[in-house]
Amino acid sequence: MLRLKDIHKYYNKGTVNEMCLFHNFNLEIADQEFVSVVGSNGSGKTSMLNIICGSIPIDSGTIMVNEKDITRMPEYKRQRVIGRVYQNPAFGTCPNMTILENMSLADNKGKPFHLQLGTKKHRMDYYRESLKTLGLGLEDKMDVKVGVLSGGQRQAMALLMSTMTPIDFLILDEHTAALDPKTAEIIMELTHKIVKEKQITTIMVTHNLRYAVEYGNRLCMMHQGKVILDKKQEEKKKVKIDDILTKFNEISIEYGN
Amino acid sequence: MKKSIATLLITTMMAMMATGCGGSTTSTVSTGQKSESNSSKTYTVGIAQFAVHGSLDNCREGFLKGLEEEGFKEGENLEVLYENANGESATGAQIINNFVSKKADLVCAIATPMAQTAYSTTKNSDIPVIYTAVTDPVLAQLATEDKKPVGNITGTGDKLPIEEQLKMIRSILPEAKKIGIMYSTSEVNSTSAIAEYKELATQYGFEIVESGISTTADIPLAADNLVKKVDCITNLTDNTVVSSLPVILDKAKKAGIPVFGSEVEQVKKGCLSAMGLDYVELGKQTGKMAGKVLKGEAKASDMPYEVIEKASFYGNTKVANELGITLPEDLVKSATEMFDTIDTLS
Amino acid sequence: MSIILGVLQESFIYAILALGVYITYSILDFPDLSVDSTFPLGAVVTASLILAGVPALFTLPLSFLAGGIAGTVTGLIHVKLKVRDLLSGIIVMTGLYSINLAIAGDKSNLPIFGQNTIFDNPLLAKFQGSKSADVMIVMITFVIVMIVKFLLDGYLKTRSGYLLRAVGDNEVVVIALAKDKGMVKIIGLALANGLVALAGSVYCQKQGFFELSIGTGSIVIGLASVIIGTKVLKRFRRIKATTAVIVGTFFYKACVSIAIAFGMKSSYLRLITAILFLVILILGSGREKKRAIGA
Repeated sequence: MLRLKDIHKYYNKGTVNEMCLFHNFNLEIADQEFVSVVGSNGSGKTSMLNIICGSIPIDSGTIMVNEKDITRMPEYKRQRVIGRVYQNPAFGTCPNMTILENMSLADNKGKPFHLQLGTKKHRMDYYRESLKTLGLGLEDKMDVKVGVLSGGQRQAMALLMSTMTPIDFLILDEHTAALDPKTAEIIMELTHKIVKEKQITTIMVTHNLRYAVEYGNRLCMMHQGKVILDKKQEEKKKVKIDDILTKFNEISIEYGN
Repeated sequence: MKKSIATLLITTMMAMMATGCGGSTTSTVSTGQKSESNSSKTYTVGIAQFAVHGSLDNCREGFLKGLEEEGFKEGENLEVLYENANGESATGAQIINNFVSKKADLVCAIATPMAQTAYSTTKNSDIPVIYTAVTDPVLAQLATEDKKPVGNITGTGDKLPIEEQLKMIRSILPEAKKIGIMYSTSEVNSTSAIAEYKELATQYGFEIVESGISTTADIPLAADNLVKKVDCITNLTDNTVVSSLPVILDKAKKAGIPVFGSEVEQVKKGCLSAMGLDYVELGKQTGKMAGKVLKGEAKASDMPYEVIEKASFYGNTKVANELGITLPEDLVKSATEMFDTIDTLS
Repeated sequence: MSIILGVLQESFIYAILALGVYITYSILDFPDLSVDSTFPLGAVVTASLILAGVPALFTLPLSFLAGGIAGTVTGLIHVKLKVRDLLSGIIVMTGLYSINLAIAGDKSNLPIFGQNTIFDNPLLAKFQGSKSADVMIVMITFVIVMIVKFLLDGYLKTRSGYLLRAVGDNEVVVIALAKDKGMVKIIGLALANGLVALAGSVYCQKQGFFELSIGTGSIVIGLASVIIGTKVLKRFRRIKATTAVIVGTFFYKACVSIAIAFGMKSSYLRLITAILFLVILILGSGREKKRAIGA
């Protein structure tokens, strides 16, 4: 359970360039919800993810995870329960380390990083099996540096790595946006599979309205720092792409875009 | 691409060697000359100088003169390999290694760190080392208290004639009370000289005001501060300070106080006077010691290190006139050399 | 002594330093300039300890520790006070100058000739037999650099080592692993400067004296060795980076020796180093950049 309460966030506060991002923003996400978030550029989607993850500080308000206040918790500590996949496939992996080493890194999340061997032999089969599920043939290239892989392959690995250890939340930040349509499709299917299998609460920001409608059990539309559309469960199932497009057009006219 | 890296590497290395041959300061004896003076063999002497510095250059010049007086003439029966470490210790060790591998008959090390490097690097060979411009060979552990060498190494010390300098200042400035000394904290010779100045100053009614600096960039500020506090400034042979002498002279001139030097070069450049060492002379003395070793008349391991006993007086009348100071007649009479110009170029 | 023995001695000692520079420059991607002062720090700690009667062998870990503390300070300044990496190194380099001087008792030159060192002690004399002292020095320095190499290789394979490599590779991944990237950087800097100080210790014992200026130019030697080693030996995939760095140090030192032996004016040495440096950097990294952008 994630709760954002009375979030205020201004950029350049007190200057002529002051810009209000969030004014009294509230959002609650229940366990095992898969929320698709859509909205125009600058509507605050990615900022919201950054606030949840602690990448940017907030001016006031509280962030609660499972009834625990994490507002003041530094970014890296929050990641104990959060997995995040970025739009840029290069963000999720270490390019100069091999696939095997990257997998081992992810596998050791939550454990102390002392002087034990980084790669445990007995985990090799598990890594190979997990890579096999991607269907990209990565299981045969365990000793290849991730830097030489394609964007899609890296993104698949990033997804696998961020969900390898038990997490409470999966944050997907336009994670298919930089991929070609076919690869995007594969990654999206994979996301769906993993989320379903591991029953992780997921927040997915996307510009692909089809994905937003097809996947997940909740859909939010954001505009100017506010949630202007929020459909859950049965309601969500009824939503069509055209409905969202209409809504988009509405706000565009309203704000003279 | 990979191939081109390799090619470029090789080309660069070749270029290094080519530059080496072209811009070399090493004079190689042509075989023709060898047959002319077939009576004696050709000796190879490697000179390793720690840094580029006026006094050290004078030492080297004197060293070659001294060798010549002993009958070793460059280009006839003497091959001189000269290298400068540019103040880098790592290069210094490699320079000495090179001399050793070339089987030099003798290594001449100029300045303390170079002498120490030469000592440790030649320890396992039978090549004698003659050093010069080592302020305190005992402190540098190159000689024992009774001036005996610690190994196959000896040479000359360039300890400043501090007492003579104080006497000189007293006779030129009978009223002066405070002497300012600027020095760099990194130079071992300077710290020991300061200690001696402090010890002797009271006997001549002086108080020493020291100003430690760590880089050349500190000098202008330190000089501004120092000239306000003292009646005169005296220099050591401190490399960092001496290299910025014009700055100090300028500030002192504006404050109307004289600057005393520690060797002849500084007087040429505009210090009022100095009771100092003649580094060419010191080098010559070193060269003669080296000559004896080469001839087999003496062993470096048996020869005590030497110092220049007598300090020589140098004065600059132009500076004296500018400051309105008259140099005492007896000093002028005893002067090794008097200058009437200020050499700002060299 | 043959020139090759001399080059080997020099390059094994500086290879320890280069391995330290490899950690900061290649793994952490942190241009750490404090090296010019941590090298003499190791030397001055060693000289003072030996003069105080501490057995020579103990000076090695103690110098490593001293360097580690210096590296930690650089790291803390960068991570906690948010000072830029280059400046943090410069600050520590500047400050250490005075500290080195203070450790030496305000002397800029501390000779330890005639004292027992790792190269010259009664125990060693028994093993020496008919071998020349220069061969012994080569052997001892080789053993030290190999121990350092294998320990470093081993460390880089541990979880902590993985994290160190990750932080230089992609900080985002380290954050995603819920680890404090600042802490990892501090550990890396401590380790790197520890190695540099260890090199200073060995160098001081071989040369028989500490001199305040011995650090001058050591960052250049370190960087040149790392870059030459890793770029030139890149084509041999099987060669470990640490081995490449050691070979690179040998290349660099050999180049310098060749230049000197051919009578090159040593005042041109730095210019030649700079050119060599630039050429290798341009040719070596040009491709990687393109690949990274293309990906």
